Amino acid sequence: MNITPEALFNARRHFLKLGAGALVSSSAISQLLAELPKDLSLKYIPDSNPQNLTLNTLEQASNYVNFYEFSTDKEAPVKLSQKMKTSSWNVGFFGEIKTEQMLEVDDLIAKFGLEERIYRFRCVEGWSMVVPWIGFPLYKLLDYLEPNSKAKYVKFTTRHEPSMFPDQAKGIFASIKHPYVEGLRMDEARHPLTFIAVGMYGKRLLPQNGAPIRLVVPWKYGFKSIKSIDLIECVEKEPLNTWQEQNPKEYGFYANVNPSVDHPRWSQAKERLLGKLTKQATLPFNGYEKEVAGLYAGMDLRKFF
Amino acid sequence: LKALLVLIALLPLGFAYYKVESAIDPIKMLYSTTGIGAVVLLLLSLVPSTCKRVCHKNFLSYRKTIGLLSFLYALLHASVFVVLDSEFDFVTIFEKSLKKPFIYVGVIAFIILLFMALTSFKKLFTRFSKYHKAVYIALLLALLHSFWAQKVAGVFEYSVIVAGAVLLIERLWSKRRSYI
Repeated sequence: MNITPEALFNARRHFLKLGAGALVSSSAISQLLAELPKDLSLKYIPDSNPQNLTLNTLEQASNYVNFYEFSTDKEAPVKLSQKMKTSSWNVGFFGEIKTEQMLEVDDLIAKFGLEERIYRFRCVEGWSMVVPWIGFPLYKLLDYLEPNSKAKYVKFTTRHEPSMFPDQAKGIFASIKHPYVEGLRMDEARHPLTFIAVGMYGKRLLPQNGAPIRLVVPWKYGFKSIKSIDLIECVEKEPLNTWQEQNPKEYGFYANVNPSVDHPRWSQAKERLLGKLTKQATLPFNGYEKEVAGLYAGMDLRKFF
Repeated sequence: LKALLVLIALLPLGFAYYKVESAIDPIKMLYSTTGIGAVVLLLLSLVPSTCKRVCHKNFLSYRKTIGLLSFLYALLHASVFVVLDSEFDFVTIFEKSLKKPFIYVGVIAFIILLFMALTSFKKLFTRFSKYHKAVYIALLLALLHSFWAQKVAGVFEYSVIVAGAVLLIERLWSKRRSYI
């Protein structure tokens, strides 16, 4: 069977458009050339998927998102985010590090290289998915930034740009407090599983999935994995993350996936894997217990939820 | 006309049935469809008597139909909880129903609607109709339940609360006037 690869298919369509454009005017051609889609595919070291996880589809992962900067709805951000300008995106690195600086996402990719990580993703709301992320482990970035001895936590902030994120322009009617803030303890941030993603499914992140750069912490509830990062700061004190500030009885700083600690409104024992009509058991630390449980030795996980 | 009303009210169910296979989060989709249906129809069931007082048109004969449709949606909503969400694990269902305010608020609202549906037919209705005022408790609980169903409430949750408030305030107001 002959299947046209997606890139070739698109190129062909553009070529046809160009041909049609030539009949009209040369300015139309240059306009069309400017519209040629940027190549969004990435080069990376693939994940061998040792746990044999079954991937969710890109369609599922990119059409069911929590992105409150656009909407509290799960599907609305898909349309609302398409005009988001994500190329040429500087991330600021500040706080207790050797040299405070700003770096462009492409510079980060060039510096740290790219690899694939197939991770389970569990939302605090009770749904889950398996996603092949592309990016680099956060420790590589931290090694480069050289945090000093005062740096006990890493604080992340989403970009604040009301012209891009409609909910940020709503003032007191915003669904949550903006800009979104998340944080990790330094040892959590340096854990080899903690990941900075710039892509998924072989390509750059789509706007609704937190383009162009986001955090992925697979053993914590999804809200820890902050999207569209603007600032990364190394700080001395535990940052007050957005959901904890919003509702401290329901959301804490740690937010480790834990089937035996319920959300006050619902149970966390099981989860709905996207696309499935039946539920499955939620694993302690979302299946990464062996790797990360040591970080929390001696801590009461009911208290530090 | 009543048949048409029933048909329209059941349309979302047909749609949900058709979409469930391709839905990204099917259980949540069924929860939302049936929950929204139940709340909206419950609010609509209060409209005929408001309408009679405010615009002097009598649609009271539709009240029972709308109420029963609301119950149907609530029944399906509760079935999603028992069958798909809890997979007949009655120990967990019982435990959740006692422990989680979000759940028991919904369960109580459902029991009220169940009681009203069972006593909505001729013989029993004459005996129990005075207790049908409990619909207001069911409505308040259902609104609270829907408010709690999301991480943060959105446009729908606030809209139904406003609609419920308007219907209830009109009732209190007309009652006060009738005393004067």
